[in-house]
Amino acid sequence: MADEKPDVARWVEEGAKAIGLSIAPEYRANVILNVERSLAIAQPLLALELDDELTSLAVYRP
Amino acid sequence: MSDPLSKAATAADIARAVASGAVTATTVIDAALKRIEAAEPTVNAFTDIVAERAKMRATDIDAGKVKGPLAGVPFAVKNLFDIEGLPTRAGSKINIDGPKAVRDGALVRRLEQAGAILVGGLNMGEYAYDFTGENAHYGPSRNPHDPVRMTGGSSGGSGAAVAAGEVPLALGSDTNGSIRVPASLCGLFGLKPTYGRLSRAGSFPFVDAFDHLGPLARSTEDLALSFDAMQGWDPADPVCTDRDIEPTVPTLYDGIDNLKIAVAGDYFAKGGEPECFEAVATAAKALGASRVIVLPNAAAARSAAYVITAMEGGQLHLPRLKARPQDFDPDTRERLMAGALLPGSWYVKAQRFRRQYRAEVLKLFDEVDIVLAPATPCSAPRLGQVMMTIGGIELPVRASLGLFTQPISFIGLPVVAVPTRKAGAMPIGVQVIARPYNEAAALRVAAHLEKQGVCVSTPA
Repeated sequence: MADEKPDVARWVEEGAKAIGLSIAPEYRANVILNVERSLAIAQPLLALELDDELTSLAVYRP
Repeated sequence: MSDPLSKAATAADIARAVASGAVTATTVIDAALKRIEAAEPTVNAFTDIVAERAKMRATDIDAGKVKGPLAGVPFAVKNLFDIEGLPTRAGSKINIDGPKAVRDGALVRRLEQAGAILVGGLNMGEYAYDFTGENAHYGPSRNPHDPVRMTGGSSGGSGAAVAAGEVPLALGSDTNGSIRVPASLCGLFGLKPTYGRLSRAGSFPFVDAFDHLGPLARSTEDLALSFDAMQGWDPADPVCTDRDIEPTVPTLYDGIDNLKIAVAGDYFAKGGEPECFEAVATAAKALGASRVIVLPNAAAARSAAYVITAMEGGQLHLPRLKARPQDFDPDTRERLMAGALLPGSWYVKAQRFRRQYRAEVLKLFDEVDIVLAPATPCSAPRLGQVMMTIGGIELPVRASLGLFTQPISFIGLPVVAVPTRKAGAMPIGVQVIARPYNEAAALRVAAHLEKQGVCVSTPA
């Protein structure tokens, strides 16, 4: 199931509801296109396996 | 040295002429305002011109009230920099309704403390989410070398204003390539300093993780002069370094004898038009650089930079996307909306990977001082062009112009973009990349290439 392609249209619809973003019908197709494009561009990152010890570099200084 | 009143004059030419009394700052500003008036119908670089302010400032300089290494030099800033009394547009229509800036941005103040004179705010891609220089609200900035072509963005007006000779110096911002891309497409020198080196206080943000500010100019000397004037800790920007100022002007012409220079291979040697690799080869030959090194995981670095950008940008603008979606540039709106919908796990992974990639790349700088890479995969596309074909693969212009810049700014390395141009062709740039805080070495290499006549910037 993990290899199944996501339903990006549904992702956009449900995700937008979750964050309270109303997407006008005329913008919807392009939002879906851009999420699909992001999914493709993110693949080299998502394919990496990172060590558990690897933490991000925070700028925050208490 | 060029006539200080001509469009070919560099900031250094003007500063020397004003300091020697050969010209007055008032004459310089009048000449700049005339050039702007003449060029604007073609290049559309400016959104705001502060003529009265500039003239008053010039009067002060001529009266000896302000002195400094840039005394009398006109400059302009991307309109995401605060300019006192104006709303900070950041390329948007929405921000026009926001508050007017109560003071200038930190770097504007620092350049003016050095004697430079602000003449206006410059066009840019909306909210800096752009590599093209196009803008639905204010029209595209147009490439002075061929006005049917893009300037590159998002600091498109900065590229156009300097390449047209309206001003010798402009400030831009670079999150993923927004100084280096217009420098490449407009045939300019551009400096993206180390992340945190220059204060971002008083500028409209885009992606806190990667936002940098820096200069574009037609000479390396102007980059060094302005960079040195802008350095220094600023508590108003939490990312700004508290390192001592490291002046670059004194060593600018020290040559390259003790520098180990390599060319970036693998990811940086494919995915572009032949012209971008020829530009790198030309620079490498002039520098005697034959070694090829590989930045490991550069493709993943570009992915991670894209993810962090989309998600920070989407989150930053979510309130405006909810309240005023119709007032966004259509080319920005749907990309920001998509960014707001990406999974949080991607963001965290991208930030964790950033640490790994940083360590991998910094290790390479134990062996070399400078790495050369293409700045853009092609020279300036035509305005309105949506897709481009590179190596037989069709790619979106907007996402792809930064293919070679994103993996570098992702970890905040300093870069000088240097221009190359073949006869009859549009300009295209090369990235001269150094280890963190070693802007001086990148500028020395750029100055060497300029001195050899390999990288020369001339106004259109």
